[in-house]
Amino acid sequence: MAKKSKARAQTLSPRQRSPQKALTSRRWRLKLVIGGAVLAVALGVGGLVRFLQQRDLAPRLQGTGDKHYTLGTAGAAVVIKEFSDYT
Amino acid sequence: MQHFEGQVQLVLYPLALNPAANPASEVAAQAAWCAGEQGKFWDFHHMLYRRQELWNRLATPLERLSDFAKDLNIDATALKSCVESGRLQERMQADKAYGQQLQVSSTPTMFINDYRIVGTQSEGELVRLIRQELDRVQRPGQ
Repeated sequence: MAKKSKARAQTLSPRQRSPQKALTSRRWRLKLVIGGAVLAVALGVGGLVRFLQQRDLAPRLQGTGDKHYTLGTAGAAVVIKEFSDYT
Repeated sequence: MQHFEGQVQLVLYPLALNPAANPASEVAAQAAWCAGEQGKFWDFHHMLYRRQELWNRLATPLERLSDFAKDLNIDATALKSCVESGRLQERMQADKAYGQQLQVSSTPTMFINDYRIVGTQSEGELVRLIRQELDRVQRPGQ
């Protein structure tokens, strides 16, 4: 059996081997394309989620909460909301 | 704040994110609100950080905080009964709920307008971020 396959390998001409090489390289290219597409979709979904969260966040951040202690000027151009824990 | 006179407002939300694990933080936040009823919120707030190591590991820090309150000319008995009554719990819960709406899961978390910052920042970094936001909102066409 081993003898037979050895004989077969020996009979492969360079011409017969190169299509196999091309096939391997096509497979790699396909893997790269699929990998790239998966990565692009993941990044897109991540970006979309972040955008939706941020869009959702902005209206909730409106208003300063009149029952809270503040420093600085009411109606200032920049409002900093600080959530902190004393420990 | 002194860098940005008239341009910036700070709104503080004292939170106790995990009162079960750290009951002192909830007592401290309530005490700060109670001090506020006597017009001493910010004094008490700064004192809590300044003397943090003297009270933050105590299981029942109220006695100690009441003692510190006296140094600030706060009526310690009134402060103590205010905390013990738990009447400011509702307000604290409302802040916690608001924090959850904004997906605040750790402290400190800040929002400079809509821009979120999580974790302690150096003063220089904060100044830079505020300046950046001021530039953005004051740009013509904004």
